[in-house]
Amino acid sequence: MGTAKQKSSGFLWQGQLIRFAPHIIGGVIFILLVPFLPTYIQSLMTKILIFAIFAMSLDLLMGYAGVLSLGHAAYFGVAGYAVGILMVHYGINSFWISAPLAILLSTLVAAIFGIIVLQVRGIYCILVTFALGQLLYSIAMKWRSVTNGEYGLTGIIRPDLGLPHFTWHTTSFYYFVFIVFAICFFLLYRLVKSPLGLALQGIREGESRMSALGYNTWLYKYIAFVIAGMFAGVAGVLFAYHNGIMVPPNLDVATSGFVMLMIIAGGMGTLYGSLIGAAVLIIIQFYAGVLTPERWPLILGGAFVLTIMYARAGIGVYLYKLYKKALLAWKP
Amino acid sequence: MEALKIDSLTKRFGGVYALKNVSFSVEAGNRLAIIGPNGAGKTTLFNILNGQLTATSGRMYFYGQDISKMATHRRADLGLARSFQVSNLFFNLTVLDNVLLAIQGTESHRFQVFRLTTAYKDMFTKAQQLLSSVDLWGKRNDLVQNISHGEQRNLEIALSLASEPRLLLLDEPTAGLTAAESANIIEMIRKLGADTTVLIVAHDMDVVFGVANRIVVLHYGQLIAEGTPEEIQANSKVKEIYMGNEEGADNAGVD
Repeated sequence: MGTAKQKSSGFLWQGQLIRFAPHIIGGVIFILLVPFLPTYIQSLMTKILIFAIFAMSLDLLMGYAGVLSLGHAAYFGVAGYAVGILMVHYGINSFWISAPLAILLSTLVAAIFGIIVLQVRGIYCILVTFALGQLLYSIAMKWRSVTNGEYGLTGIIRPDLGLPHFTWHTTSFYYFVFIVFAICFFLLYRLVKSPLGLALQGIREGESRMSALGYNTWLYKYIAFVIAGMFAGVAGVLFAYHNGIMVPPNLDVATSGFVMLMIIAGGMGTLYGSLIGAAVLIIIQFYAGVLTPERWPLILGGAFVLTIMYARAGIGVYLYKLYKKALLAWKP
Repeated sequence: MEALKIDSLTKRFGGVYALKNVSFSVEAGNRLAIIGPNGAGKTTLFNILNGQLTATSGRMYFYGQDISKMATHRRADLGLARSFQVSNLFFNLTVLDNVLLAIQGTESHRFQVFRLTTAYKDMFTKAQQLLSSVDLWGKRNDLVQNISHGEQRNLEIALSLASEPRLLLLDEPTAGLTAAESANIIEMIRKLGADTTVLIVAHDMDVVFGVANRIVVLHYGQLIAEGTPEEIQANSKVKEIYMGNEEGADNAGVD
């Protein structure tokens, strides 16, 4: 984000303040302020970070590689259910066993689905990803002996980290999620700035040119698909611990659509837009849900119309432009 | 040494023959112009050579190797590059990123995930050379959608040259350019070394006669003449196609 090109010499301190404003505000809100907030807000912020990881994974696929997916909740849900099943049916509570297994499983599912999805292009990917997502939804609904069907898999508790003197409470779980989020953001940020990340953006912009330049475009899209599935799995694991229950709608089209709205609202192909989109949508969902439990999608819809009208590229991109303007205004 | 050999290539779209039994070969280091009226099959031929279309029948050999069934990206790896008639660029990326992608395309580190793009210094040096040669280094941080048509055409050429190809296919490199801009591009093509073989599709006779030492004429998908520029200029069949009379091919091809 901090791509300002000014020389640091001769800089007013106000200028430096503006330059690092997003980092300072982010740091204060997400690190320093949290212990002083009511627990329900801490819990809300935990959910925001979990969905931000989920949204970033979809952003890698849609925003960078340009592969549309309306079934991304499949990998999120598979990992969440895997954690739950290991815990409820097999009594495996260690984070270091169940989380890697769950993430491996979601990665495997993405590796299999990716082969099917990438047989088609563009808008047809939406149909195929949607169908595969609904397939998993049906399994979660019908395989009652394992998933407990529509009642959901209950009894998921927070994992055993194997640390002495460590206890879970809302705040410690928040920081745990924050650390995982920070690691995921760092890894994905490195990835999109790597040669492979640049290639993904090239494929989004012009696939025929990319193959003429020597890129095996199918393989790149497939790699992006599998990595996206893996990070969605990370989010799914955290979600299962956070929620305590996995229900079939966690892997259906509504969840996939919700996370797609997040990256559209926040700004595609930016990563930081995923955090902003997740924050905006989850806050709207929470407060509008309190206001009017049945009609909150109406408020969500209204918010979307406003976003499209005034910040078409996404709220995150809009804020970033404001930030750039502020930086320029302070240029000595 | 033949850089390219095309053996009775045919491409049918339904009942229409876009190419019919076309055979010719190009010696390494030659500059071959492919001319012909609109719809003659020139771009189709490029798309087949490039691998974006599959021929209905016939074979092609690249330095003796059969590439008829090879995937596009593998042909690029072998050293076959092309430019596009309608600029096929990465419009939402910067000029620099466009060239970096083109350079990286045939490099082994293109799958690298664990290092940043900026760590590959030699790639940036090469990008600087390439962009300076087409006067675009000053615009390297502009998005491609914001640069002018002429600049986009220059970038189009730069992308096709980035991999230092052995065989370069240029599809109307000067389309829509001013005379001065065209002259610039002709100069660039002339400066290419003898280790690059060039096939060029052009309507602009300044390009054809300024660059080519061999010419192939296509008409309704069929090869009707092949030879040196002088031979083609003197060819009565070619005159007939272009002009319908005896005026010669000098100002032909203006549609």
